[in-house]
Amino acid sequence: MNYVEWLRVRNCLRIVAIILGIGVLLAVILRISLTRYMSPESWIQHFHEPGTVVTHVTLPDGTKRTIWDNAHDQTHVVIDDLGYAGKHIVVTEPASRAHNDHDNVAVGSIHVNESQNGAVRTTVIDTNGSVPMLYYMAFADVVALIVAMVLAAPFAREVDGHLEIALTKPVSRTRSAIGAIGADVVGIVAASVMTCVALYLCQLLFESARVDVSGVNARAIVMGLIAPLAWYALLCAATTWFNRSYVAVLVAALPVAIIVGALTLVEPSNIVAAIVHQVAWILSRLDPWTYVQLKYDSTTMEVGAATFGWRLSLEILFFIIYGALAVFKWQRVEA
Amino acid sequence: MSTITIKNLRKIYGPVAAIDDFTLEIPGASVFGLLGPNGAGKTTTFKCLLGLARPTSGTILYDGHPLVPATLERIAYVPERSVLYDWMTVAEHIEMNRRAFAAFSPMRALELLATFRIDPRRRVRVLSKGMKTAVMIAIAFARNADTLILDEPTSGLDPVNQRHVLSLMINEAAKGNSVIFSSHQIGQVERAAEQIAVMDAGRLVLQGSVDDLKGDRKIVEGVFPNVTFALDGIANDPHVARVDRTERIVRLMVTGDADQIAARLSAAGAMGVRIVDLNLEDIFLYAVSPATATTDIVAKESSS
Repeated sequence: MNYVEWLRVRNCLRIVAIILGIGVLLAVILRISLTRYMSPESWIQHFHEPGTVVTHVTLPDGTKRTIWDNAHDQTHVVIDDLGYAGKHIVVTEPASRAHNDHDNVAVGSIHVNESQNGAVRTTVIDTNGSVPMLYYMAFADVVALIVAMVLAAPFAREVDGHLEIALTKPVSRTRSAIGAIGADVVGIVAASVMTCVALYLCQLLFESARVDVSGVNARAIVMGLIAPLAWYALLCAATTWFNRSYVAVLVAALPVAIIVGALTLVEPSNIVAAIVHQVAWILSRLDPWTYVQLKYDSTTMEVGAATFGWRLSLEILFFIIYGALAVFKWQRVEA
Repeated sequence: MSTITIKNLRKIYGPVAAIDDFTLEIPGASVFGLLGPNGAGKTTTFKCLLGLARPTSGTILYDGHPLVPATLERIAYVPERSVLYDWMTVAEHIEMNRRAFAAFSPMRALELLATFRIDPRRRVRVLSKGMKTAVMIAIAFARNADTLILDEPTSGLDPVNQRHVLSLMINEAAKGNSVIFSSHQIGQVERAAEQIAVMDAGRLVLQGSVDDLKGDRKIVEGVFPNVTFALDGIANDPHVARVDRTERIVRLMVTGDADQIAARLSAAGAMGVRIVDLNLEDIFLYAVSPATATTDIVAKESSS
């Protein structure tokens, strides 16, 4: 019954697939051009100077260990090749030889930790670190947001010259509306999944990708899937109620949401500012994105865990209420 | 075979009554023509029949039952303008109908498209207005519906395809299905419709079979030498149902003995007097044009 909506979803996902495919292709080209720099050994090659003694050992668990020992420079490098589990490299050097910064860097699965103990500085490079799914979902949400905005006017598009087809099918309007929303929901979720898969493929090209889906990442996945759907439902309701100008609604929605969000930051220092702040605050409560907590504490790796439950409930509630408003209006549309 | 009953239908848009106390019974297994000038309420009536517009009051019954979503399985509709999706192919429209309607026959649709010389692989946006109409007609006639509602179905079609559509309509009626259509091409309505109804300003002004409406009425037409002439009481003759006068030309709608009225018109000084059969166009025009002519002329003759 919702064949047309499924075609719209298919066409939209086809474009998403093409764009993501181009992204993966660019990543392949980048990977090929960076091949010589991709080995972790190449990053520490400067420790392999003349006079370095190299020892190869195979540990009982199968790990192939390589040790570079340079007595003159007082550098000591242990490279453990863990096979599919990546490499674990420990560099020990005099503190005077290294720069003064203490870095803890994580790029994808490559984690670098530097520490200093007296005159000795230790750098640990681990290529088997896990990538927080949070990062994937951040990208996926951008794509889902765009797809949601493309698909968000299923009923307004029918009002725009196709009601004689849409409303003369032997099915109730409620059922056809729920079917159309269902098709769009599948499309938005599929776009998120496709983006995550494309990102995973890109990462695989450069390193052994291990994705962390625990804790905050699990919450990010759930919120990352639900929030675009709530946003979609908001747009769906708005375009159904203002179906004559649905394109303007779709174009203006995101800028308006951003402006309203920004106005909530206005300090209520005088009466006008207080009114602006209050109105913006009230309006922002209706925007599903308000409840997506973006503050990220890198120490605790927490993203508003305490309030996650009710924020997620609100997103689901928004999806249901806005969706119901759209269906309600659709039931009353006349040709 | 499906009978449609419309009772006291009223549809108001703001201050305007698009349909006003409209009552009509459309018999099954026939071709029914709905005529009316622009804005008469034909399309609104069709929309009410299909549930596309909600009547302000009144009832619409299909075989005695109100319209429910399942009823739409049995009704095919061709609107007056293209409602096809420009970005879809014709084949995708066929697939859409196949999925939506149990009785839809894709093979029949493809056959009809071939008749109209339309490639189903083409996107709708590249089709001409007439081709889009033809696609909608092909899909409607492939629905195997027992009621077809066609709003200006021949609009934009070439004469060959217009005739083909009329044949399709007559065939459907022969199969026991109802075809309800509107058209401004009255010749086509006269050729295809067994029954007609004429609407004007949202109201039913005339209804019946084409033959019954024609009855024994004739048109007596004459031309006077100059614009000032007297009808010598002809307008008051009980056989004259209506008088239309345009400059030097006078047209009399006559019931009964047309020869006698023609003779009187000649005697009054008219030249080239002739008697012609009443056609549906005359019936339509008399039904919807302001009936001032007869009254004025009769009044003028009485005073003179």
